[in-house]
Parts: sequence; C-alpha cells; structure tokens
Amino acid sequence: MDKESFRGSLEQVDATCWRIPKSYKPGMRVDGLIFTNERMLPQLLKDQAPEQVANAAFLPGIQHASLAMPDIHWGYGFCIGGVCATDPEEGGVISPGGVGYDVNCGVRLVRSNLRYNDVKPQLRPLVEALFRTVPAGVGRSGHYKFDKKELAHLLGEGPRYLRDRDLATQSDLEYTEAEGRLVGADPECVSDHALNRGAEQCGTLGSGNHFMEVQVVDEVFDEKTAAVFGLEKDMVCVMIHSGSRGLGYQVCDDALLSLRDAPRKYGIELPDRQLACAPVDSPEGKKYIAAMRAAANFAWCNRQLLMQQAREVFATVFGRSWQELQMNLVYDVCHNIAKFEEHTIGGKLKKVWVHRKGATRAFPPGHPEVPALYRKVGQPVLIPGDMGRASWVLAGMQGSMDKTFGTTCHGAGRAMSRTASLKHAAGRHIDKELEALGIIARSQSKKGLAEEQPAAYKNVDDVVEVVHEAGLSRKVARMRPIGVIKG
Amino acid sequence: MIEFFEHTADLGLRARAADLDDLFAEAARALFSAVVEDMGTVVASQRMVIRIPGADKEFLLFDWLKALLYHFDAEHLLFSRFEVKVGADGLEGAAWGELMDPARHEMNHEVKAITLHGLKVEQSAEGWLAEVIVDI
Repeated sequence: MDKESFRGSLEQVDATCWRIPKSYKPGMRVDGLIFTNERMLPQLLKDQAPEQVANAAFLPGIQHASLAMPDIHWGYGFCIGGVCATDPEEGGVISPGGVGYDVNCGVRLVRSNLRYNDVKPQLRPLVEALFRTVPAGVGRSGHYKFDKKELAHLLGEGPRYLRDRDLATQSDLEYTEAEGRLVGADPECVSDHALNRGAEQCGTLGSGNHFMEVQVVDEVFDEKTAAVFGLEKDMVCVMIHSGSRGLGYQVCDDALLSLRDAPRKYGIELPDRQLACAPVDSPEGKKYIAAMRAAANFAWCNRQLLMQQAREVFATVFGRSWQELQMNLVYDVCHNIAKFEEHTIGGKLKKVWVHRKGATRAFPPGHPEVPALYRKVGQPVLIPGDMGRASWVLAGMQGSMDKTFGTTCHGAGRAMSRTASLKHAAGRHIDKELEALGIIARSQSKKGLAEEQPAAYKNVDDVVEVVHEAGLSRKVARMRPIGVIKG
Repeated sequence: MIEFFEHTADLGLRARAADLDDLFAEAARALFSAVVEDMGTVVASQRMVIRIPGADKEFLLFDWLKALLYHFDAEHLLFSRFEVKVGADGLEGAAWGELMDPARHEMNHEVKAITLHGLKVEQSAEGWLAEVIVDI
C-alpha cells in the first residue's frame, strides 16, 4: 500500500469545514466532516487520510459524524486527527484503533519564574544536562524501578500513587486532565506482557515525535487567559510529549488479538481490520476499556516522572529548588484516548464514548471538568508544533461542544513521510540549522533530527488558525523552542 | 529482498522472497533493520524458538513480527538471523541474536507496534510479497 492521493468527493460546508457525504461509500452510517481551510486543503488530499475518515463512519453506534481535525494525516485504521463518538444505547462500539497504540499519548507544560535572559547563558549546559538525565531513545530504561505490585498501583491510581512517594504534588494532580486518573481502570486486565514492557519504561521519553523542549512564551494573544494560566511573555517553560510506552502499545496489541473474531461474532463489517471494535458492553469491549484506562493512568505517571526529572535538572543547573523556580504544572492533556462523556447530540443529552486519536479535549469556560482556577476561561489546550517553529497554548471554546464533542487539534501533523524527510535532510546538518535559530537540539539517534526536522511537519500556526476560526479553541500564547531533547 | 516504503506518519516494510518460509524470515529482517541501524553489528549468539498457531497467512506474519518485537521491547533482545517453517496450521520460527548493547548497537526507530492496516501476504508469478506498516 503506497501513498496515494484521495480522489473521493469533498463538499465545502463553510470556511473551515468540508464534508464527505454518507453516500460516498456504502456502509457509512454518518457523514465525514474535516476541519481545514482552503490553504491546507491540497495537503490534505495528498494521502488516504480522508478515506480513513470515511472508514471510521462505518462504526456501529457512531453519532453525528466521523470528524477530523486540521492536523489530519494518514494513520493506520483511523486517521491521525480523527474523532468519533459512539452511543452504547445504540449499539455503540469501542475501538482500540480509535485510541491508537500509544494510549494517552499527551502533552504537559510546566512554567517557571525564569525569563529567557536568565536561561540564555546557561542554555547549552541545561540542554546537555537534560539530555544526559532524561532517558530517551530506543530500548532505554528509566531511573525508576517498579515491581509488579507497585505497577498495579500506578495503573489503578495514576500519579496519585506517586504523590504518596513524594514524586508528585497535589497541585500536579489538579492540573492534569481527569486529575491523572481514569476511574474504572483495572490492572488485572493488563497482561503480563504489557507489564513486562512497561516495568522499566516509566519516566522515559521514547522516540519518534516524542520530545522534551525548553520553550519561551513568544507572543501572548489573550492576556487575561494567559495570566490565569500563569503565563506571560518571555517566560521559560518546559513542554513534554510522551505516552504510555511499551505498556500501552501492548494493551492495544492484546485488544486487537481478543477482537480478531469480533467482526464475525458481533456481525460488524469494517473496511479496515485495524478498525477492529466490539460493543462497549461486550466482554471484549469491557476488558479493553478497563485496560486502556489503566494504560492511560500509567502514561500520566510517565509524564509526571519526566517532569520530575526536568525539575531536578533545572534545580541543579540554576542552583535553586524547583519550588523556588516555581516550576508548576500549567496543565497536562491526553490526545490518544477514549472517554465516556456527556454531550448534547441532536438536542438530546447523551453519554457517549468519544474516541480522540491525535485530537485534544478542549472543554469550554464553565465546564465542570475544567480545574476551578481555569473554569472561567476554559481548559488549557497544549499543541506541540515542530522543533524549529512553535508550539501553542489554546483555551477550549463552546464551539468544540457544539461541533466536535469537545475536541480540537493535537499538533502540527506530518507533511512528509520519514523516508522523504531523510532525503530532504541529506547533506544538511539539522542541528546546526536549528542552532542558527537559537535552538540547541540533541537526539539519541542520528536520523532523529532529520526525520523530525521542521519541514517534515505542517506549519502548526496554520492548524491553529483553523481551530481558532472554527471556534473550537482560541489562541492564548505562542511558544518558541530554545532547547530540544529527542529520542 | 527488503525495503521500506512511504507512509506519512509511520513506516512501511516490504519483503519479497521465492517461498513463504523465506518471506517470513525476510519480513523479520525488515523489522530489525528498522529497529537497529546496522544489523551486521548484531551477533547471532542466542537462539530463540517461536511457535505460532493459525492458518491465515497475514495474521501469522502479524503475530510472528509482534512476538519478535515483544522480545526486543521487554527483554532487549536484538535479532539478525531468522529461519521460518510455515505449515498449514502455524509456523515455527527461529531467531538468532543477542542482548542490545548501546556501545555497539546504534539504534534506528522505536517501532511501537505492528499494525493490521494494509497488511498483505501475496503470491504472484515472481514469488511472494509481504507488506506491513509499523507504528513509529
């Protein structure tokens, strides 16, 4: 299956939304809706991602439409940037492919009281120290070891368990989506294989597009909201992008195995085996949900321990404790997840399973699940871009509840395949190019920086423009990278 | 014969061989050439035997690669030589390799998982072809 262009039908709905009508393919239960704009449209048609939006519309119990955010790109099964909601009352299914292998892959942002000029003279030693300390790259084990009993606590309780071991604070929990714990997680539903893969990986970054970045608040677009989030221009922050490591990948693998016979057993016809799913209330569905929730809790522990390591490095480099440096968590979001949420659909309040595969929750002002301190302005949404340009802090808007089951984009989205990126980087020194921009970047693998070079991604500013204009979330602050750690 | 093919976010592995046994061995080589920069640095000092039941060739390939990836991720074993016998109701594969040593092995990609998307095992006049997309 090589990369092919999408040649199906797309109808413009408005300035930021295009429709794949239900009639496009027999078997689609709802339309596909893609949030994008004229400028990004040609890029969107370059691969099979729109076809995957249409394929997700086959899922039993799907509500309203199969959705895609503007950072949409070709994934496996679901597209990256895909969102769909299924209603268990209408035979709705849960699909591990709609979550992805990296369960609760997500992003957190930590602020500090340091300004760019405080950090600039120390930037290289800071980045080198982060690179030495934070385990990253293929096959690297973490500094924290947990036995099976302890792992079960991590899976059941999330970072709450780390708080009891002085590796997390109460405030860290408050500013994590779902307070870092999905209720209903059952460690018993997580296989030994998954535990074996995860045992040494809690507190490790991984590889691919995962990163730890030192960033500076480059521009503030909404002063009031930025102040509520504790952000101001020139402030130095740390952004962390990682997920549930091998444990989560194995949870997805195990579920796909248990769902192998599900299409026949439950009479579900799907155009792609990777969309494998089962009714929410089936034994297979229930088991996956309990294991997926446990993997999500593990991912929050992973990002918590990554943050702790960053805090400790800052404390060593700047000679003050992280508390003195006010390295407090702004927020932590997940962007690969399925959650049981209340949404108004067709005028009726329903509880549905919202699958977000490379998409971020963006609850609006007033939503009870937004931390009290932020409730008036909406949930912080963290959008990592590429290592040369920018990342964003947005705030959730009412439009997300009206149009996208409380969801917005999750990143820049890849524009170039990894092989194309390597060709594009041939003969160049990406690290030197970044250095000329004032960015120190270190990667464990030679190819890492080449594959993840800025040009491999869409411009995150374009993606953010669409969600801002569509009213899904609004611009709060643009962050620029100054230090990058990659696997 | 092995090669990578383009996929926007992930990586496609393609293997060709004269018969099914070699095809499965080649696909495993493709997987580990995605994991480690130079498979020539991996000494084939330990042998592991993997048996997988099943008749569906595509699921057999999927399960075979998944099993190998598990041994790498959970046990840090890198493999560089493979022999596979595919039968009517399953396969028996042997993989030779050693423990990962960061001093000697330069790593390539973190393969998170083998996916079912676009998974293909096909026979043509020229022989057998396998395609699999791995999650990076």
